[in-house]
Parts: sequence; structure tokens; C-alpha cells
Amino acid sequence: MGKHSAPNPQVAAPVAPTAPATFAHAGGAAAAQQPVLDVRHIEKVYGSRNNVTRALADVSFTVMRGEFVGIMGASGSGKSTLLNCVSTIDAVTSGNVLVNGADVTAMKSAKLTRFRREQLGFIFQDSNLLDTLTARENIALPLTISRVPAREVLMRVEAVAQRLSIKEVLDKYPYQMSGGQQQRVAAARALVTDPAIIMADEPTGALDSKNARLLLECFETMNRDYQATVLMVTHDSFAASYTHRVLFIRDGRIFTELRRGTSTRQEFFERIMEVVAMMGGEGSDAL
Amino acid sequence: MLFKLAWGNVRRAGRDYLVYLLTLTLAVTVFYAFNTISVQVDIAGVGAQNPGMGETLGGIISGLTVFLAFVMGFLMVYANNFIMKRRKKEFGLYQVLGMSRGQVARVMTLETVFVSLAALVLGVALGLVLSQLMVFFTASLFKTQISNFRFFISPSALFMTVGCLVAIFLVTLVFNLRVVARARVIDLMSAGRQNETIKARNPWVSAAIFVLGLAAIIVAYVRLLHDGLPYDGQPEAMQAFLITTLIVVVGTILFFFGLSGFLLKALQGARGLYWRGLNMVTIRQLAAKVNTVSFSMAIIAMILFLAITSVTTGMSLASVMNSTVERGTPVDYTTSVMYYSQAIADEWNADPTISGGEGGVTFAAPTEPVDLMAMSANQTLNADTPDAQPFDLASIAGSYVQVDAYDSTPRGASKPLVTLKDLCDAVDMPLPAGTESSDVDSLGLQVISASNYNDYLAFRGMETLDMPADGYTLLSDMGETVNRVYDAVLKQGVELDLGGFKLHPVQDHVNADASVFVNSMMGMNSGTLVVPDAVLAALDLPPYTSYLLVNYAAGANDPESDAYIAAPRRYNDVIDAAGNIVGGWGAEATRSTTYESVNSMNGLISYLAIYIGFVLVVACAAILTIQQLSGVSDAGKNYRILSELGTSTRQISHSVLSQQTIFFIFPVVVGIAHSVVALSVIVDLIELFGGLTIAGMVSFTALIFLISYGGYFCVTYLMSKGIVRDAIRARHAA
Ligand SMILES: Nc1ncnc2c1ncn2[C@@H]1O[C@H](COP(=O)(O)OP(=O)(O)O)[C@@H](O)[C@H]1O
Ligand SMILES: [Mg+2]
Repeated sequence: MGKHSAPNPQVAAPVAPTAPATFAHAGGAAAAQQPVLDVRHIEKVYGSRNNVTRALADVSFTVMRGEFVGIMGASGSGKSTLLNCVSTIDAVTSGNVLVNGADVTAMKSAKLTRFRREQLGFIFQDSNLLDTLTARENIALPLTISRVPAREVLMRVEAVAQRLSIKEVLDKYPYQMSGGQQQRVAAARALVTDPAIIMADEPTGALDSKNARLLLECFETMNRDYQATVLMVTHDSFAASYTHRVLFIRDGRIFTELRRGTSTRQEFFERIMEVVAMMGGEGSDAL
Repeated sequence: MLFKLAWGNVRRAGRDYLVYLLTLTLAVTVFYAFNTISVQVDIAGVGAQNPGMGETLGGIISGLTVFLAFVMGFLMVYANNFIMKRRKKEFGLYQVLGMSRGQVARVMTLETVFVSLAALVLGVALGLVLSQLMVFFTASLFKTQISNFRFFISPSALFMTVGCLVAIFLVTLVFNLRVVARARVIDLMSAGRQNETIKARNPWVSAAIFVLGLAAIIVAYVRLLHDGLPYDGQPEAMQAFLITTLIVVVGTILFFFGLSGFLLKALQGARGLYWRGLNMVTIRQLAAKVNTVSFSMAIIAMILFLAITSVTTGMSLASVMNSTVERGTPVDYTTSVMYYSQAIADEWNADPTISGGEGGVTFAAPTEPVDLMAMSANQTLNADTPDAQPFDLASIAGSYVQVDAYDSTPRGASKPLVTLKDLCDAVDMPLPAGTESSDVDSLGLQVISASNYNDYLAFRGMETLDMPADGYTLLSDMGETVNRVYDAVLKQGVELDLGGFKLHPVQDHVNADASVFVNSMMGMNSGTLVVPDAVLAALDLPPYTSYLLVNYAAGANDPESDAYIAAPRRYNDVIDAAGNIVGGWGAEATRSTTYESVNSMNGLISYLAIYIGFVLVVACAAILTIQQLSGVSDAGKNYRILSELGTSTRQISHSVLSQQTIFFIFPVVVGIAHSVVALSVIVDLIELFGGLTIAGMVSFTALIFLISYGGYFCVTYLMSKGIVRDAIRARHAA
């Protein structure tokens, strides 16, 4: 299971010098294919009897291979809940989540663990690196867990670190790295297994603008050079402007959707700001 | 309100408190159960055999309990500090929320009271059960029959236990209040774990430290095996021993200090192993913890070493007594008289406080031995009571023999004719371990005549010895180390020159069975020279000791005869024909009392060894458990990340298990290694009394220890699994 045909990082093509600001990738190219992610009418309810929170209500959407999708919404709108449900960290109350056609909501825990290991990559707001391991070891972890041979592990780690420009921190511990470096190491860790979808929950949330930009460029590289499918939760319009498509969530429902199409990042950013303002200014605090 | 808060806290911090509660409960249980020893001894029927045994044991045990209460108290304070450290933040928060420091302190106190009370109730309940069961154990230790089993509660033991618990409680409280007093709001800011603890040492340096520690340990082993124990207390030997001890302590600490670094380097060398599964996580977690726990691991290894060594030595001594008591008690009853030397008689005569001055008594060195059977009539049965009567040993005696031993220093001479050291030199052997005292030159062997010895052999029903005019032989019933020397002397045909008489051995080895002159649980005859009668007469040696060996007329171990001997009796002076006091009665023993005291001795030693060993082992295991649990919950976030990365709970548990196995196994392995080396040296000392046997009792005790240590290990692992499971379940976001 989990063997799909995306290119191996170690044999990836050399970097094409593309200016991120003018990069315009058409999501439509992949539209004809089967979706990597298919979310169908999911609902998530927290609490019991007298104290119920409906965090998600009837959410449906699809993501194609190679897409870079953003999820925006105010704090408490259910973004993290959505990501956690999709990423199998949390169980849905009802509805289905299909990854590459396989229904994860029906999976038993052992199978789920394996699925998560082979098909998904995660990046969180706090980098979630193991504080006892070096960057190299942190990146290698998903591979060693899957029993990839040591030689290949080290080669793949080197390759992905090279691509994300973090080679110089490979032998440092998390506490010796800046927040931005930590996040890029976390991104490398998510990418190294060549997963079907990479999910990021407010990855730039704890970063200053320079480091945030570096990380977002990192995501672009992953998406462009590795054809990685990325699903990124953010409440930052600037971060969202790096994506191809933005889903807006309010009160646990999809409020609207915005496609970048052929517009530049600057144009897309302005369109996102418009929607945020229209949503009642709730999201404008994010800027 | 505070009450509710405290109760809630105890329940919430349940896991942390659980280990604390477990250990305290165990301490209370063990304290109570062992302190009921005087009652147990009664019920187990030990008292009937050895009146006063219960009080003696009870006294020793309660003294010991105070000492062990200190050990336990220290442990509880340590366990408690772990809990407190983790809750500093919480106390800061209470203050932020507007609680006064006094109120926080009261919450804290109430929490400690809850846990201590729970431990007391649980512990005493378990202790009551355990003490009933221990009666059977005690009976088997002391080899007695349970006379009338009944349920019992010992108020004094209860009192002792509560006393210790209150003391521990007070100490813990003082520490806790200090933590509360110091909890500043700033602790809230510097929330979470400090990263310093993660900073791994340079693994190369660690590995070097490890190798250094290992080398030091090996050096200490070699030194100890070479030098042996400093029995004689010589300053140089003591100094050498102290240095060896220091080396091994430092070596042990370095060993654990560098252990994880070494493991890290060693495993990284094997790339295929390191970059596989969670191996690198396991080893890195170990390395991260080393700063905080390496020192206590070293201490625990040393404590385990002490526990193993003392328990094994104690129990071996006990079993040595068991194996030698049969040989050491050949007859129903023995008694002896020790004669005064001329020097002592002169000194005492000159001292009016001893001789009574004018009209007092006169002391003298005897010209010849007295007749002990006749002299025993000098003793008074039931003295100072209406039915006082002379002691009539002849009335119960069947066959008997008297052995007269002479001092090997002739009258008027200052040096003995033959000493153990002379004999060692003659066969070119070192002095046996334990005999290297500084006055070994001046201590001579005692001498008996061949005809007297043949009387003894005939009485024992053994073949008599043909002694030519230039013959001699040696007797000793001590253990291997001394007898090896005598055997060599006889075998090599060493010629003895006794005041001009040149004597040659008539036997080629010492017959230890035919060397016993007094009933005792261990060897008492450390060297006797048998010479022809003519030689003895010509040497003019003063009488030294006379032994009287008696078999009862009414048959071996006749209870009535034993009772006659056991009756209260006054030992009057031993006088010669002229009425001078020439000696005093020495030790007397019946076969039955010797056997009983061996059993009691055995029981006593085993009892103490198990008690001390058990408490120490439990203390060590508890410390490891507490450290491990706190380590696991500190690493909870890491385990959650692993789970999110798609590691199965089984793999994570496996990693935790590996870490904990290393933590629990290494101190034991090092402790055992130290013990094996130390014991191999101690064995020499015990051999002096008849050889070391690892008896069933030792293995039984080892089993109990292993079970309790292993039990802690299992508890640690199971609880860790729970902590990991909770950490994984905790949702990441929100
Ligand atoms: N474990 C939980 N238990 C109960 N309610 C929760 C839990 N996690 C999140 N919620 C609630 O669900 C809603 C959505 O939360 P979340 O998805 O974290 O929002 P955000 O968009 O800020 O990431 C919020 O109202 C939050 O209070
Ligand atoms: Mg969130």
C-alpha cells in the first residue's frame, strides 16, 4: 500500500529559477484526475449532552494532486478541527474522508497508523520536532519508522535538506535553531516520505515575516518540484496568497472558495483581503 | 474549599502521587510487619527454646527501623521533590489567581496529609496480613514449631510505625512548604521544561568518561583481589583499602555518567542499527536523561552492591554455622577451666581490689591440672534458695574424658616454643586471612600429651594414635585456610625443634573431626600440638586449659540431663589442693543448646539480612520508578509527535521499555559485578570458619529481591504505557 508514482526526491529535477511572485500554476491542469483528497459531508461535535460544540457542520470539498490549498477563517472557526479530521488525528462524528480513494474514517487504528505514516505529512504551528534529536534525525524519523534502509534514509534526508536550504543545520538540535529553521526542518520531515498530502496548521503563526516568507517559498518549492499536494491552514492573508485556492470557513461551514487562476500573488492577496473584509472583518485581525 | 481543592489535586496528580503512595505504603507495611518480631517469635515457638530471643531481636529490629526510617524518609523526600518540581507552575498559578501563599501552603499540607493517611491505613492493613504470614516464615527461619497460632496486633509495632511515618511526614512537609514559599509568579513565565536538561554532552567526551570509569572499576577490582580485605587494621592496608573503595566509587559514578554517551557512539557506529525504527529515539532519550539520573544510578548500583554483599555474607555465615555445628558438637556436654598464668596470679595478688588484700584470696598458677569432674561438685545448684545443693555432674555423666592442654611457653620463658607464624614460615605460606594480627608472634599453640589425646580418641570411639618418641601431630577444627597450613606442615614432614627435642609428624593431614574439645557452632580449636608424654614432661609447660567432655548416662540428648545442666547454678572458684585459686570456669555447652543457638543465630542473621536488604532494594527500585515516570511524562510531547508521524503505540511502548530496561538493568549488573568481586574476597574470611556455601536461603532471598525489583520495573512500565497513551491522546491543536 502507499506506493504511488510521484517522483522520488533523490532523483528530482534540478531547481528551476522561478520568481515566486510571478509564478502562476493552473490548478485546472489536474482537475481531470481523481482527487487526492475527497471530503464528504463531515461533521464534528465536541462535548456531551448539556455542553455541545458543533465545530464542523457538513463540510465537503476535494483537492487534486499537486494542488496547494489554503484554509482560512477566524480563530475558533474550526480550521484546526477540519485539518485534524482530515489528517486522521481526530475522528469525525459523521461523514467520510477519502484519500486516494481509500476511506480513512472507516480505518481501524493499526491500519490508520500505517496510513498516516505512508500517505500524510504534517507541519504544525510549533514545529513539533523531537527536542532530543538533531535536525537530521528528526527528518529521518518517518523513514526509519518505515524501516527504509539506513543508506537510503541518509541520502534522502540530504537531498531534501539541500532542496529546502537547511543543510547547514542538519546536525543541530532544535534548541540551537531559529523558529524559521525549525519550521523548515519540520517541512523537510513532512516531505521526505513523499506523502500524498502535506498538511500544515498555521505553520507561519509563530514566525516573523522574513522567516514566514522563507517557509512559504519552501512550500512553493515542495509543491512545484516535488508535485507535493499541500493543505495549509492559516489566518494570515499573506500566507494564503501563496496558495492556488483558498477555502474560507466560518462557524464550522465552508463560507466561500477563491481560486488564484492566472493572477499574480499580489492580485490574489488583494482578492483574499476583500473576502476577509466581507466576512465581517473577523479575519482582518490576521494581517 | 481548600479541602476540596487539595482532594481534587491529589486525584488529578494521581499518577505522580501513586508511586509516592505505593512506596510509602510498602514502607509502612514492612516496618510494621518486621517490628512485630517479638510477638512473632513467641507464636513461632522460638521463645520456648531461647528465652529472651524475642526481646533481643525486637530491640535490634526497632533500632534498625529507625535507621531504615531515615533511608525511607530520604527516599520519600526525594519522591516528593519530583512531584513538587512538576507542580511549581501550578502553585505560581494559584498565586496569580489571588490565593495567598498561606492558603497555598495549607492546600499543600492537606495534600500531604491525605496521601500519608492513605498510606498509613493501607500499609497497616497490609502489614497486619503480612505479619500473620511472617509467623510461618519466622518459624522456618528459626527451625521451630508454631505452638498456638492466633491473630495478633502489636501495639508497640504500630506505635513505632506511626512514629516513623509522622517523622517522614514532617520532613516532607518542611520541604514542600519551602517549595511553595519559593514558587514565584515568574515560574509561570518560564513554563515548561528547561531546555538545559536536553543539552546532550559531547558524546565523545561521554564515551571517554565511560571508558575511564570502566578502567577505574577494573583497577579497583584488581587491587581488591590482590590486596584482600584489611583484616588486621594495619594503617597501610586500611589506606590501600580506602583508596580502592574511592576508586570504585568514582569509577562507578564515571561509568554511569558516560554510559549513554558511550551507548550513543557505539550504536551510531552501527549505522544500520542506529537508523532503524525508533532506535535513535530510544538512545537519544536515554542520553537526554543522563544529566539528571546518572548520579542516582551510580548511587543505586552502590546500594544494591551493599545489599547483595551483606545479605550474602550474613546468610553464608549462618549456613557455615549450620554445616559445622554437627562436627563441632560431638558430645552431650562440655565444660572447661582456664588456668591463670604466673604473671596474672602475681598481678592479681598484688592488687587488693581483686584479691581482697589481708585475709582475702590468693591466686596461683597451677602446678598441674585439676580434676574437673571432682571440681564441678564445687558449684552450687539453686544457690541462695532453700533447696541449694552441690552440682553433681557425676550423677548424669556416663562416659567422660578430660583433656589437659598446656601453654607452649615454658615456665620462666618469654616466647612460645611454636607459633602459627613459625609453621607458616616453615612451609613458606602466608598467614591465613584474618589471622594477620600484630601479636601473632607471641601467640603459641597449645600442647597436649599423646596419652591424653589417645584417651580422648578412645572416648570418641576413634582409632588411637601410635606416637613414637620423636613424633608429633597437629589438631585444629578451624576452616580451610588455617588447616591448609597445618596440612602442609604435616605433609612436608616439617621437623619441630621443641627445647632440643627434634620431632617429626606422624600424620600427613589434620583430622579436624578428632580435634573438637568443646561443643560449639564454629571451630574453636585453632591449633593444638600433640607430643610424646616424655617430651611434655621434660618441657616444663604450665597448664593452660582443661576440657571435660561428657556423654550422658541416660543417652544422647537426654532432656532431663539437659535440664539438670540448664538449672541455675553458681560457679565457684577453681582451687588447687592448697586452696589457691588457679583458674576460672570457661564456656560450657550442651549439644542441645548449641544446636538451638545455631538455629537462633541463623534466624537472627537471616532475618536482619532480609529486612535490611529488602528495604534497600525497595528504596532503590522506587527511586528508579519515580525518575522513569517523570522522564516519560516529560517526554510525553515527543511520544505524541511520534504517534502523529505514524508510529504505532506498540513501537513507542517498545522504545520506552528499552529505555527502562537499560535504566533498571545497569545498576543491578554493576551492583552484582561489584558484589561478585567483593564476595570472592570475603569468602576467604568466611572460609576461616569452615567454607562458604550459597545455601538455598540465599537463593530464596535473591528471588524475593528480584521479584520486588522486577515488580517495580513492571509497575513502571505499565504506568509509563498509560502516560504515553494519555500523551498521545491529548489533541495537538486547540
Ligand atoms: N477538544 C475539544 N473539545 C471541545 N471543543 C473543542 C475542542 N477542540 C476545539 N473545540 C472547539 O471547536 C471549535 C473550533 O476549534 P478549532 O478548530 O481549534 O478552531 P481554529 O479555527 O481556531 O483552529 C472551537 O469553538 C473550539 O472551542
Ligand atoms: Mg487552530
